Amino acid sequence: MSNILAIAHKELRQYFVSPMAYALIGLFAIIYGWFFIVSLNFVVRVSMQAGMGMGGPPTVNINEYMMRPLLGNTAVVMLLVLPMLTSRSYAEEKRSGTIELLLSSPLTELQIILGKFLGALALFTAMLGVTLVHVAVLFIYGEPELGPILSGYLGLWLMGASFISVGLLISSASRNQMVAGVVTFGVLLMFWVVSWMGDPSSGSTTASVLAYLSILDHFEDFSKGVIDTKHLAYYISFITFGLFLTVKSVDSERWRG
Amino acid sequence: MIEVQHVTKRYGPVTAVNDVSFRVDSGQILGFLGPNGAGKTTTMRILTGCIPATEGTAIVAGYDVFEQPVEAKRRTGYLPETPPLYTDMTVREYLTFAARINGIGSGARRERVAGAMARTSVEDVADRHCGKLSKGYRQRVGLAQAILHNPDVLILDEPTAGLDPKQIIETRELIKDLAGDHTIILSTHILPEVAQTCQSVIIINKGQVVAVDTPANLTERLGGAETIRLEVDPLGADPEPALAAVPGVTGVTVAETANGSCVLDVQSERGTDVRRELARTVVSSGWGLLELSPLRVSLEDVFLQLTTSEEPKEEDADPEPAPEPADTTDTTEDPT
Ligand SMILES: Nc1ncnc2c1ncn2[C@@H]1O[C@H](COP(=O)(O)OP(=O)(O)O)[C@@H](O)[C@H]1O
Ligand SMILES: [Mg+2]
Repeated sequence: MSNILAIAHKELRQYFVSPMAYALIGLFAIIYGWFFIVSLNFVVRVSMQAGMGMGGPPTVNINEYMMRPLLGNTAVVMLLVLPMLTSRSYAEEKRSGTIELLLSSPLTELQIILGKFLGALALFTAMLGVTLVHVAVLFIYGEPELGPILSGYLGLWLMGASFISVGLLISSASRNQMVAGVVTFGVLLMFWVVSWMGDPSSGSTTASVLAYLSILDHFEDFSKGVIDTKHLAYYISFITFGLFLTVKSVDSERWRG
Repeated sequence: MIEVQHVTKRYGPVTAVNDVSFRVDSGQILGFLGPNGAGKTTTMRILTGCIPATEGTAIVAGYDVFEQPVEAKRRTGYLPETPPLYTDMTVREYLTFAARINGIGSGARRERVAGAMARTSVEDVADRHCGKLSKGYRQRVGLAQAILHNPDVLILDEPTAGLDPKQIIETRELIKDLAGDHTIILSTHILPEVAQTCQSVIIINKGQVVAVDTPANLTERLGGAETIRLEVDPLGADPEPALAAVPGVTGVTVAETANGSCVLDVQSERGTDVRRELARTVVSSGWGLLELSPLRVSLEDVFLQLTTSEEPKEEDADPEPAPEPADTTDTTEDPT
């Protein structure tokens, strides 16, 4: 465990010595903030109209009309930002030769991979944490339900962790961090849209398999405030499988030299 | 301390290392000598567990690097060809991280890092970023990283490559100094380095071991004192048969003929000194003896001899008959 933490700590430190981490956190916070204001405006307008029509106090459900779309948009931002976070992870170590320091140290491959995973996950958690400031504002001026917000954030967090495991896998197979980033984005996008390929109303097996694979579909329930073990299991197996493939990939890279 | 048996590494169709076996005893420095592409780096990466071998076994510090890699790695320090530095860390941060992943507890870490920095003389750049260091400092920080955890075995891939002469001498001294409590393998394609630093040498070429010995033995065994260079003025005769008939002589080759004098390389049986007999033969035939000296084969020659598959011998075997009789003991050109 201490080996894993040593790697995680090193990864985090490297994220923060470069402007990368600040740029990503900043970018994420700004885009989130913009979505936040846009949806807040929308809710305010709707509720004012509703208030005028009925003559009573605003009754628009903030969770339903604001947080759900907002979290959905955040997931899209993650799709764009997280590949940048993981792309350098392995690719850069291979390019600069520092991978030899790790490979010749008394660490197992799994420890190296888990360390890198935790490092990236910690940075992502910080990115997500910053956005909670906006949510806190909602609690000051309104009374949204806490439950769906928490479950929505859990869903985002799991989805982000899944993205990171894919990013690590692709970075481990690449020597160029640009390529790793672009390919990661492509692969994530595929998992994202995969459910659109089959018509879910047709009820065919292919369609339901595709829907099951889609990273996005499993997020739906979280954003509604439902924590279903089925979806938890999906994300956890997705992450585990991603990390497992990364171990295999690092191993085969070693064989190839 | 290090035992390599029949290690082979193939990259697809390319065989980088082919059936290499050797051993290094405790406290020794082994020089791994070979031209570029010989397979030195590949062998070292196998020994340090960076890459698996296709075949064979390697035992380092008592542990099989394939069966118990973590135990073997704990006892090995490795300086790769390019020092594996994180450019965005300071030297101190970098070494602290290296200490941490080598299992040095937080209590001892500061002290070990300071010790390694002192040993490799990098204290004055301790707070500089690794990316901003000169080649000499990078190499030394890499070396500091390798010795941090006081490993039994040190594996150094071209530790003096790219250094200036002063740094080379310092690095060599440091390596010799380290040899006391570490077993060291260092690779190089520079010959004098091996002669000056190592107790034994392995010459590797195209992935295969072509010789294993001490630098001195190697020079001796492959020629050395057993070849005598002879320059005679045979007065138009062919000196070869007469010299070949001298007891103990195993072969005579004509190396050069010019201005009536003839330079010959005479090989003899090991341990027999044929110099007196050769001199007597030359003198009693009435020829002029211009030079007689044992031919010192340098490690360089041995290396070339071993690593060049076919030696081009385009020298003419027939000595030209000298048109002018000259009996001088001088070896300077004849102004004819
Ligand atoms: N990852 C690799 N993939 C394919 N061939 C390689 C790889 N690494 C080394 N080689 C080949 O193996 C041979 C030995 O290389 P190397 O061990 O680096 O030699 P040296 O260190 O003695 O210069 C070379 O022919 C090289 O091209
Ligand atoms: Mg090399």
